[in-house]
Amino acid sequence: MKNSDTSLHVRGASLFIDDIVTPADCLHAALFTSPVARGKIKSLDTRAAARADGVAAVFTHSDVPGLNQVGHVFKDQPLFAVDSVEYIGQPIALVVAATRRAAARAAKLITADIEPLEAVFDPRTAAARGMIHGQKRVITVGDTAAAFAKSKFVAQGKLATGPQEHFYFETQRCLALPGEHDTLKVCASTQSPGTFHHHIAEVLGIPQNKVEFEIRRLGGGFGGKESTAVWVVAPALAAFLLKRPVKLALGRNEDIATTGKRHAYEYDYKIGLDADGNILAYEVDLYQHAGACADISLAVLGRSFLHVSGSYRIPNLRATAVSCRTNIPPNNAFRGFGVPQGNFAIEAAIAHAAETMGVDAAIVKRKNLLQDGDTLPYGLQLKTTNAVRCWETLDKQIDINRRHAAVTEYNRAHDDTKRGLAVIPVCFGISFAQTALNQASSLVNIYVDGSVSVSTGAVEMGQGVNTKIQLIAAQTLGVDADRVRVDTTNTSRIPNASPTSASTGADLNGMATQYACQTLYARLREFAAKHLGHPTPDDIVIKENAVFLKDKRTDLGWDKLVAAAQWARIDLSHHAFYATPDLHLDPQTERGRPFAYYAYGTSLTEVLLDCRRGTYAIESIDLVHDVGRPLSEAIDRGQVEGAVIQGMGWATIEQIRYAPDGKVLTAVNSYKIPDIKFCPPKFNVTLLPNSDNPFAVCNSKAVGEPPFIHGLGAYFALRHALRSVRQDKEIPSLPLTPEKVFMYLYE
Amino acid sequence: MLNFILNQHRVQTDERPGLVLLDFIRDVKGLPGTKEACREGECGACTVLVGALRNGVLTYKACASCLLPLGDVDGCHVVTVEGLNDDDRLSLAQQLMVDHSASQCGFCTPGIVLSLTAFGLTSPDYSYADALDALDGNLCRCTGYVAIRNAARTLCDRLAGLDRDPQKRVASLIAAGVLPDYFAGIPQQLAQLPHPAPAPFSPSAVLVAGGTDLFVQKPEALLESDLCFLSKRDDLNYVRLDGRLLRVGGAVTLEEFRRHPEVKKHFPSMEKDLLLHSSTILRNKATLTGNIANASPIGDASILLLALDAKLVLAGPDGARREVPLDKFYRGYKQCDLTCGELIGEILLPLLPPGTRFNFEKVSNRVILDIAAVNTALRLITDPQGRILDLRLAAGGVAPIPLLIGGMERFRGKPVDEATAKAVAQTAADAVKPIDDVRGSAAYKKQLLHQLVLAHFAAAAAPGAAR
Repeated sequence: MKNSDTSLHVRGASLFIDDIVTPADCLHAALFTSPVARGKIKSLDTRAAARADGVAAVFTHSDVPGLNQVGHVFKDQPLFAVDSVEYIGQPIALVVAATRRAAARAAKLITADIEPLEAVFDPRTAAARGMIHGQKRVITVGDTAAAFAKSKFVAQGKLATGPQEHFYFETQRCLALPGEHDTLKVCASTQSPGTFHHHIAEVLGIPQNKVEFEIRRLGGGFGGKESTAVWVVAPALAAFLLKRPVKLALGRNEDIATTGKRHAYEYDYKIGLDADGNILAYEVDLYQHAGACADISLAVLGRSFLHVSGSYRIPNLRATAVSCRTNIPPNNAFRGFGVPQGNFAIEAAIAHAAETMGVDAAIVKRKNLLQDGDTLPYGLQLKTTNAVRCWETLDKQIDINRRHAAVTEYNRAHDDTKRGLAVIPVCFGISFAQTALNQASSLVNIYVDGSVSVSTGAVEMGQGVNTKIQLIAAQTLGVDADRVRVDTTNTSRIPNASPTSASTGADLNGMATQYACQTLYARLREFAAKHLGHPTPDDIVIKENAVFLKDKRTDLGWDKLVAAAQWARIDLSHHAFYATPDLHLDPQTERGRPFAYYAYGTSLTEVLLDCRRGTYAIESIDLVHDVGRPLSEAIDRGQVEGAVIQGMGWATIEQIRYAPDGKVLTAVNSYKIPDIKFCPPKFNVTLLPNSDNPFAVCNSKAVGEPPFIHGLGAYFALRHALRSVRQDKEIPSLPLTPEKVFMYLYE
Repeated sequence: MLNFILNQHRVQTDERPGLVLLDFIRDVKGLPGTKEACREGECGACTVLVGALRNGVLTYKACASCLLPLGDVDGCHVVTVEGLNDDDRLSLAQQLMVDHSASQCGFCTPGIVLSLTAFGLTSPDYSYADALDALDGNLCRCTGYVAIRNAARTLCDRLAGLDRDPQKRVASLIAAGVLPDYFAGIPQQLAQLPHPAPAPFSPSAVLVAGGTDLFVQKPEALLESDLCFLSKRDDLNYVRLDGRLLRVGGAVTLEEFRRHPEVKKHFPSMEKDLLLHSSTILRNKATLTGNIANASPIGDASILLLALDAKLVLAGPDGARREVPLDKFYRGYKQCDLTCGELIGEILLPLLPPGTRFNFEKVSNRVILDIAAVNTALRLITDPQGRILDLRLAAGGVAPIPLLIGGMERFRGKPVDEATAKAVAQTAADAVKPIDDVRGSAAYKKQLLHQLVLAHFAAAAAPGAAR
């Protein structure tokens, strides 16, 4: 089944925040933010803004009735700056006016006298000065020093990966509507209804039961609407104080300049291999460029840290990870949530080691690929590993060795152009690494006319989670999918929901929905038996919108069944709860079972390098990806393709430039995400056949993030091509922009 | 008072001519299908169709409504996604997007539907390559484009047998389910709209020659300004051959120029070269003269025309005309030889003499819809013995102005060989002083120009390069 929203999308009939018809008295908000990366606020003058045409009010920290805090994990992020600022773009005041234009104009009239203080933009400098969030994490397996001593080949180096802008099409937007009894209804484009609901009540100083938070869908999220609550809480505050509807919509450049990004990382790596190419030891230090507040950075760092070994068996390992507090806007979640960074370092180390050995990197990767019985650094022994199956399925399709030989031959015969390829395996742990977040609930209502409504905490952002939940409900109840409607995500129906994130939306909320439907199904089956005068429900099956008795369709159709059950006073509504079982991680020893299962894949990316111009094209990607038994093949293919291209963009052309004072120089006219002609002409996706997964709903697997890792292939294929031109210098860091490629070739 | 047709409905409005169409559609008319995602023409989420009667034929093009002032669509038919929703039936483009699961979050989808529909209305051959060109200004952050490409490919197949006669295009697209029935009545409805003569060009008015950069730079100021739209000047919309000169009217858009038969015949590389200029939805409004007068040091059209030795015919408000060679037109960063009230009425392009090679090179971070780090064009004329008679080399991104690189006279008489190529490349690199900016470092640009000049010569050496 296809995404049930698509037929609305193509008609432009699906509603986003800006499409909700607002009351006539709706006001519009604009933020005044810090122009200085770090400093003391000596004075703030909002008088001119307050007097400007159409302005209803200007709010600062002193107007906050509750707690002036939107810190996600730590209380380190004020909603409005009080006496100091820590990054350019930090909110200082909110202007509310009759129109969006008037609010934006008035915000420009605010002036702040800020005494600049020394700001730090380099994560290693921050780490050296002890400017870190949380604690440094260390994990040790075996004895790396001894293993390096035994290694025939050792490669070590420093590299970095850059930031990535989410570029969700719908920018941060929120509409807040006051109601009676000092209540508030908030509609916003966010992935975290539960957390943001809490933040709003805390800032307003009112109980959460006075705030209703509702989400229909997002115009893209990718993690960028998960943790930072400023753009939701600020307009909610204004609506609450003014008792008028207030809308905030960030402009694109404002969104790029002031919201968090994928974290840039720096890496020191060292890898040791024996004469046969077996990895003996690996050491890596991760420096995460977190920004001024902790936001969700420590969770991202944790996931990088738990994925440092990639898809490989590493007997001796030592990894450290530190979240560096720098004076840029706090970075946040982005599809992959630190895994792409953790994986990058090991892939770079192996590519480097293979060069040292003089063999194709794919040979080293295959040799060390995870298989059943191998143990991951945190002590988990793998059982149902599909890493090798994915690799071999791909190899059978395309013959990796032959492809490598063809590239070598091409490069021997050509000087002006070179080809490069890279094989990237994927092993991606599924569950929130923060065990507490692995919970979800679902409310299923069957109405007397036979229609079914499902509410969960999952947020639809294009990933098709609502369609998957709709399918699960329909299958479990035995009715057609068109009888089931997935309702909005609403905190009055589903409280305290975990964010829709970590690829777990369908896993958690789908399982809760299945539980709720199973209970309702059992109730209806028991009732059907009584209704039909049959002694036991065991012979009853509800399917195809009807009651079957001993495999024979009865006259009791679904609608009749439901109506009769309601009249017989059977409860047709059920709320169910799911918490992923057996998850734990000991923070002291860094040992445990943080993930319920793993998603696997293997891809081969091939690029063509134009040596004269330093430009390149990604010519093809062939990949096999493990999605278990897909709930919807169409949706899962779309998730794979979209994630891969986003990963390729991060690896190549997506770059952010900062001025020396920390200002983001990159705007929408210079931040270039992949376009239709960037997409490789050959793009072959195979969903791994016959993959079972007892750890997720209906044997499916999470698919949102894991395929992003394949995008790394673009970087490593380019690296391969560049090495065929010259080997006498260090490979530049990610992203490998045309400029970096050119300078590698010609500088 | 502005008059136009929005989907099926006639619109009369007193809104400011400088209000962008996107805001009118969403805020004034309350139609939510046209999405705001960047307001700079960078994403295509706000794509609409604009149809205008020209010489009795109604022609449509896809445009970014965030950069399209309301005054520009006076007298036109504007189509938003709501204008394709005919009762409960999906249009062919909509249906194929559904069939191929080519939409995820849905925010970019209406714009893609409109670009696909515009492809149906405008493509000369319904080729897949043309369909990709039609979508080159529509970004999508979710799907990775594979599914969108599949939808486009199927659309090409479905339209392959269609009548190619432009006069019958709308009727056959209605029959094919691409357009709803009401499109058949639009020419009559447009003919009934008042057709005021274009406002006389007043020195106090801001001249809009497409506006795709102007409305990025200062939308707020333009909302209040008097505007004069070059697009309303039918007298400036022509491309015609005049002996050994191609005369290009000041109102010609980049896309019209790119596809014009005379341009294809005499400057055959232009069709491909100008694909590197912005995107279809912008080239449909952006003009050659706008690109020139913008005086951006990196304008693609400026670089192409500099190498082609173009001359500009400037027309003053009093009717006075003067000719200025393009290589004398630029005075400094964003400054040009255009006095108050003057406009570029015509561009004169000398045809390429036999034995000429012409080549354009552009390197940008992303290939499509991106501003160059360096762009450069070379016109090389040789004698029958292959010796250089004239060499014109222009480069952008390496100086405060679009630069015609001097000192090339000394290569006259030289053969077109590797030694000459290297010497020209070195001369060019030595002549420029680029700066560090978001498009790249100074060192990169300088060295890149060197390499792109070598690329020019490699192209010139290719068989069949000479005309």
